[in-house]
Amino acid sequence: MNPPTVTRRQGLGIGALLFGLILLGLVVDGGRSLLADVAGVVSASYLAAAFRFTVPIAFAAMGGIFAEKSGVINIGLEGLLIIGAFAAVASAWGLAATPIGANIWLAFGLAVLASTFVALLFAVVCIEFKADQIIAGLAVWLIALGFAPFASIIIWDRTNSPSVGTFPVWEIPVLAELPSLGPLFSATPPVVLLVLAVPFSWYLLNRTPFGMWIEASGEDPKALDTAGVDVRRVRYAGVLLSGVYCGIGGAGLALNTGQFVGSGDTMVDGRGWIGLTAYLIGNYNPVGAFLASFLFAALDALQLQLQQVAGFDVSATLVGIIPYVAVLVVLTFVGRTRMPSAAGKHYDSDE
Amino acid sequence: MEGNAEASGPEDRGREEPTPWSGEEPPAVHMEGITKRFPGVVANDDVDFSVDRGTIHALVGENGAGKTTLMNVLYGLYEPTQGTIWIDGERVAFDDPGDAMDAGIGMIHQHFMLVDTMTVAENVVLGDEPKKWGGLVTDTGRAVEETRTLAERYGFDIDPIERIEEISVGEQQRVEILKTLYRGADVLILDEPTAVLTPQEVEALFSVLSELIAEGKTITFITHKLGEALRAADEISVLRDGTLVGTVPAAEATEEQLASMMVGRDVILEIEKPPSTRGSALLRVDDLVVEDDRGVTAVDGVGFAVHTGEIFGIAGVDGNGQTELVEAITGLRPVESGTIAFAGREVTAAPRRERIAAGMAYIAEDRQKRSLVMEYDLRRNGLLGCQRLPSFSDGWRIDWGRTDAYVDDVIREYDVRPPDARASARSLSGGNQQKFIVGREFERDPSLVVAAQPTRGVDIGSIEFIHDRLLGLRAAGKAVLLVSSKLDEVRRLSDRLAVMHDGRVVAVVDPESVTEEDLGLLMAGERPTGLDPDAARSEASEAVEEPAGGRR
Amino acid sequence: MSDWRERATESLDWLVEATAVQRIAVSSMALVFAVLVGAVLVFVSGFVADCPDPFILLPGLGYGCYNPVEVYATMVAGAFGSFTALGRTLQETTLLLFTGLSVAVAFRAGLFNIGTQGQMVLGALAAALTVLFLGEMVPENALGTVIVIPVGVAVGALVGGVWGMIPGLMKAYADAHEVITTIMLNFVAMGVAFWLVQNHVGNLETDSVQTHSIPEVARLPATIDGSRFSLYALVGALLAAVGIYLLYTRTVLGYELRTSGVQEAAAEYGGVDAKRNVVTSMTLSGALGGVAGAIYVTMVQYRWQDGIPPLGFDGIAVSILAGNNPLGVIPAALLFGGMKSGSVAIDLSLGVPNELVEVLRGLIILFIAMPEFFRMIGKRAGYGGETVATDGGERDGGSPAAPEPESDGHGANRPARDASDGGEER
Repeated sequence: MNPPTVTRRQGLGIGALLFGLILLGLVVDGGRSLLADVAGVVSASYLAAAFRFTVPIAFAAMGGIFAEKSGVINIGLEGLLIIGAFAAVASAWGLAATPIGANIWLAFGLAVLASTFVALLFAVVCIEFKADQIIAGLAVWLIALGFAPFASIIIWDRTNSPSVGTFPVWEIPVLAELPSLGPLFSATPPVVLLVLAVPFSWYLLNRTPFGMWIEASGEDPKALDTAGVDVRRVRYAGVLLSGVYCGIGGAGLALNTGQFVGSGDTMVDGRGWIGLTAYLIGNYNPVGAFLASFLFAALDALQLQLQQVAGFDVSATLVGIIPYVAVLVVLTFVGRTRMPSAAGKHYDSDE
Repeated sequence: MEGNAEASGPEDRGREEPTPWSGEEPPAVHMEGITKRFPGVVANDDVDFSVDRGTIHALVGENGAGKTTLMNVLYGLYEPTQGTIWIDGERVAFDDPGDAMDAGIGMIHQHFMLVDTMTVAENVVLGDEPKKWGGLVTDTGRAVEETRTLAERYGFDIDPIERIEEISVGEQQRVEILKTLYRGADVLILDEPTAVLTPQEVEALFSVLSELIAEGKTITFITHKLGEALRAADEISVLRDGTLVGTVPAAEATEEQLASMMVGRDVILEIEKPPSTRGSALLRVDDLVVEDDRGVTAVDGVGFAVHTGEIFGIAGVDGNGQTELVEAITGLRPVESGTIAFAGREVTAAPRRERIAAGMAYIAEDRQKRSLVMEYDLRRNGLLGCQRLPSFSDGWRIDWGRTDAYVDDVIREYDVRPPDARASARSLSGGNQQKFIVGREFERDPSLVVAAQPTRGVDIGSIEFIHDRLLGLRAAGKAVLLVSSKLDEVRRLSDRLAVMHDGRVVAVVDPESVTEEDLGLLMAGERPTGLDPDAARSEASEAVEEPAGGRR
Repeated sequence: MSDWRERATESLDWLVEATAVQRIAVSSMALVFAVLVGAVLVFVSGFVADCPDPFILLPGLGYGCYNPVEVYATMVAGAFGSFTALGRTLQETTLLLFTGLSVAVAFRAGLFNIGTQGQMVLGALAAALTVLFLGEMVPENALGTVIVIPVGVAVGALVGGVWGMIPGLMKAYADAHEVITTIMLNFVAMGVAFWLVQNHVGNLETDSVQTHSIPEVARLPATIDGSRFSLYALVGALLAAVGIYLLYTRTVLGYELRTSGVQEAAAEYGGVDAKRNVVTSMTLSGALGGVAGAIYVTMVQYRWQDGIPPLGFDGIAVSILAGNNPLGVIPAALLFGGMKSGSVAIDLSLGVPNELVEVLRGLIILFIAMPEFFRMIGKRAGYGGETVATDGGERDGGSPAAPEPESDGHGANRPARDASDGGEER
C-alpha cells in the first residue's frame, strides 16, 4: 500500500549497501579471478548438482504456497525440513536393525509421515486453538532445531548421525551416456519427484476445484464458506500438504548425503527460510517458486564447486551468505508481493 | 432438496399438524418464534417472520436491531437458539448455508462474498464447479458458458471472464445475485443492498428485483432506508431490539409511522437548523491535485473555501476522490500540486502534527483504522493526536493526570457507554466509538473540524447526537467540512454543498433547493437539465475566489 | 456447535479480559505444559538411550534411562543449589535480560525482531575489537575499566543498533516483513562476523575462529566465586528494564513508538511519523541486542569466539513468556537463566542432552501462542472467541478488514470481542 516510488529508491539504497559490502569482501579476498572461475565450473554436472540442491528449497517453497494460499502462513517450513531430514536418517538407521532392513524408500515414507504429523499439530494449533501463526511457526522451527540434535544425541550419542544408505541414481539409458550432457540425465529419485511435483502443484492450484478453494480460502474465506465449502478442511489440507512437501524436501536432502548433521543450524541450514522467500519472489506460483529456488541452489552449488578450483581463495563463508543477501535485496526491490488477503487471520464460521 | 428431508424430524411425518400460517398456500418462508442468543446479548427474541411467494419483503430496523441475525438464521449461518423455520410449507433445520442453499435460499451479503482475485465465472461456480476429466479438472469453459447464459436470461450486462477487482460495485452485486441463481435459489435475501449504490444504481437494482419477481422468485431485503422499503417492497417488517414490532403492507405505511416503530418513539426527521452567521474563509483549497495509493490522480484540480460558522458539505459516491481530498487537507497524504491554506497560513506541505496544533480536528472515515487504536483503552485513545499538545504533555513526559481528566470529561459529556476509561476501544459499539472520537476532537476547541462519514455504521441515537454537535460547532462560529455519502445527511446539515465526481467538484449547490434527482445525476457525473449551470458555476467560483485569511 | 458455547459460565469470564493476572496465568500454564511435554519426551527418550543403570523397566519396552522428576530436580539444583550455581544462573539471567528486552522493545512496538541473535553477534564482535584496541591504551586499574567497558558496550550498542536499523528501514520503506528480513540478517551477521574473525581481525595464529583474549582491564569483575557473574551487569540490565518500562508508559516518545507499531494508520492520524518510529524501535531493539553481545564478551567469554550461544532466540522466549512487558522480562529471564544453567547439570550428571532446554524454549513459545487452548481447557469451550454479529456489527467503520496489529504476542491472539453496534447499548 506504500507509494512504490519512495519504496524502490530507499530499497535500492539498502540493497546497494549490502551488495557493496559483499563485493568489498570479495575484492579484499582477491575475488577478481572469481568470474573466470565461475565460468570454469559451470557444466552439466554442476547443473545436476544444482538440481539436487534445489530439492529441499523448492519443496519447502511449494509447500509454503499451499499453506499460505489457503490462509495459514507457515513460517515453520525450516522446522518441517529439519524433521523430515532427521526422521529420514533415523528411520533408515532404525530399520537397519529390524528384519525389514535399511529400506531407503520406507525411510523416505516415514520421514514424510513425520513431517506431515508435525504439520498436523501446527494446523491444529493454528486452526483450532487460533494461535498466532507467526509465533506458532517460529515455535515449530525452534522446537525442531532443539529436538533434532537432542534426539541425535539420544540415539547416536552425538549430534551427527553415522552414515546410512543413500538413494540410488536413476539414469535414463543412452541419454545418460552422452559425453557432456550426460549428468543431467542421471538423477536421484527426489530430483525426479521435484521435476514432477512442479507441474503437478501448478495444475492442482490452477486447474482444479481444490485449487480454487485454496485460493478462496486465503483470499476471502467467508465467500468460500457461504458457497458451502468447509474452510477449516481446506486449510487443514493446505497445511498438511506443506508438511508432505517439506517431508519430501527434508528427506531428499538427508538421503542425498546419507547422514544427518544436527550441529549448529542443522544440515538444513536456513533452506526452509530461503524456500519461504523463494515463493514470495515466485509470487505464489509453483513454477516461479521453483525457478527462484533453483537460482538460490545454483548459487549454493557454485560455492561448493568453486572450493574445488585450485587457487581459488574467496572465503566460503562469504560466498555462503550470498543467497541470504540476495533474498534481502529481492525483498527490498520487489517490496511485498501481494499476500492472500486473509492469510494469517483466523476464520470462524459460526461467529 | 435432500437437506429438507433429512432435517425434518421423524416425529413430524405422518402427523397432521395445524398449519402455522394463515391461508391455503404455504408462504415461501415462514419463521416462527425465532430466538438467537449470543453470550450477553439476545439478538433475536421470539420473532415471527413470513414472506409470500413472488413478493418483495423489506426488513427494516436500526443497526443492532437483529435484522442481519434473523436473515443469517434463515440462511443457516446461525443456528437459532429456539424457533422453527418452514420453507414452502416444509419444516427445515439448517446446519450450514449448504443446507439452506439446497432448500433454495440464497443470500447476497452486504459485504460481497466474492474473491477479488478470481473471475466472475469462477466466483459464480465456486463450491459447485462443473468438472471434466472424471471430476479432476474444473471445466472453465462450461463455467463461463453457464454464467453467460444465466446473465443473459436476467438481462445482466456482465462479462464472465473479468476479474472481480476490475468491475464496479453495482456489477459485483449482480455477480452475487448470479451466484445464488446458479445454485437454484428461489428465495433471495439481500442485506442492505443499496448501501453502496448511487441513486441511479439503486434504480437499476430495483428493476433487477422486479425482473426476478417476474421469474417467480421471492425476495427479502434488509434496509434502514425507509423510503426504499416503501418504494420497492410489498410488505415491511420492523425489528427493534431483537423483537418484531410489526409487519405492514407497504401501500398503507408512511415513513413517519415506520420510523417511530423502528425507534420506539416519535422521530423528528427534519433537523432544526438556525440560519448561519458565516464569517471569513478559514480553510482554502486551490487547484488541488492528489494521487491515490496506486499513483492514479484521485483529486483533480479541486478548489473551495470553508468559512467560519458554516458547514461545507461534500457529497458524492464513495471512491470519487473524497477520501484522498480529506487526507490531503488533514496532512495524511502528499499533495501533487495546488495549495491548502489554513488559518491564514499555507499548510500544503506542513506535517500533520502542525495542523493539529493549529486547531484542525479530524473525524476519519475509517475510525477503526485511523481515529482509534483498537487495542488501546479509551484513556490511551484520548491522547491520540493530542500527545504533543501543551495541555497533555511537555513534549517528553505525558501528563496522565490531565489526560485522565480530559478523557473522563469526554466520556461524560458525550455519553460514551460504558463510561469506563479503561475499556478497550475494541469493546465499544460503533456508535460509542464514534461519540468518543467526536468528543476527543471537539473538546480541545478546534477552529476547523473535518468530518468524513461521521455517522457511518452508527445507530440512530448516536447519529442524532453527532448531528447536534456538528450544528453546535457551527453555531459557535467554527468551520466544518462535512464529507458524507449519505445524501440526506449532507443535505440537511450543510450550508453549501459541493458534489464530487471523478476527482472534481462538479457543482456547488444550495442544499435547500436542489432536488435529490439532480444530486443523483451530478454524483453520476451528468449535468441535470433542471439545474441552472450558471448558478452552480458562480457559486463554485465564488467559493474559490473569496480571499483567504480568517480572524486567526 | 453453538449450544455448548452458550453454556458459558461466569466463573471463567475473567479469562476473556486480558488482564495482568490472566497473562501471568497463561504464561504459568504454558510453562507447566511445556515442562510436562518435556517430561514425556525425556521419559520416552530414556528407552532409546543407553545407560549403565536404568531407572525403570517396562515390559515390552525395555529399560528406561531417565526419570523426568529426577531430571527436573537436577536441573533446579544445578541452577540454584549452590552459590556457584546461582552465579552461573545470574550470569545467564543478565544476558537474557538484555536479549529479552531487545525482543520486548520491538514487540511492544508491534514488531517481531527475530534478529536479536545477529545483532548480538555483531555487537559482541564490535565490543571485543573496541576493548582490545582500548585496552592497550588505558591504565591497568579501575579507572581503565571504567573507561573501557562503557565504551565497549556503547560501540556494541551502536553496531547492534545499526544492524537492527536495517530491517527497520526495510519494513518501513520497502514493506519487507521484519520476520523474514531479521532471520536472513542473522545468517548474514554470523557469516560476516565469522569471515572477519577468520580472515582479518581474529587471532590468526590459532585454528579456531576467535579473537585474542581481551585484557584484564576490560573484564567485568566477577561477583561470585566460581562463576563470571558480575553484579554491575545485572544492575545495568535491571535499570534498562525499568527504563524501558517507563519509556513506554510515561513518555510521549514511548506512546508514539508503540502506536506506530500497533496501528500505523492511527499513528499517522495522531500526527506521528510512523515509518520513522518503526525504524527507531528496531534500532533501539538492535542496540539492546548489541549490548547483550558486549556484556557476553566482557563478562563471560572474554573474547569473540565462533559458536555464540543462541541467547537471541532465548530472548524471544523470554519476551513472549513475559507478555512482552519490560518488567515481566525480569522473572522470565531468571527462569530461563535457571533452565540454561541447570541444563549443564542434567547433561553432566544424568547424560540428558542439554538441547532439552531448546525444546522447552520452543514449547513455551508454542503454548503461549495459543491462549485459546487454555480457554478450552478451562471450560472446554471457546467462549472468548465469540463475536456477535448483528446488523451493522460488520459494516461498522466501513472496514471489516481493519488490519490486525502485526503480532503482539497477545494482542494478535486476542479474539475479537467486540459486541456489535448497539449490542452494548441495550
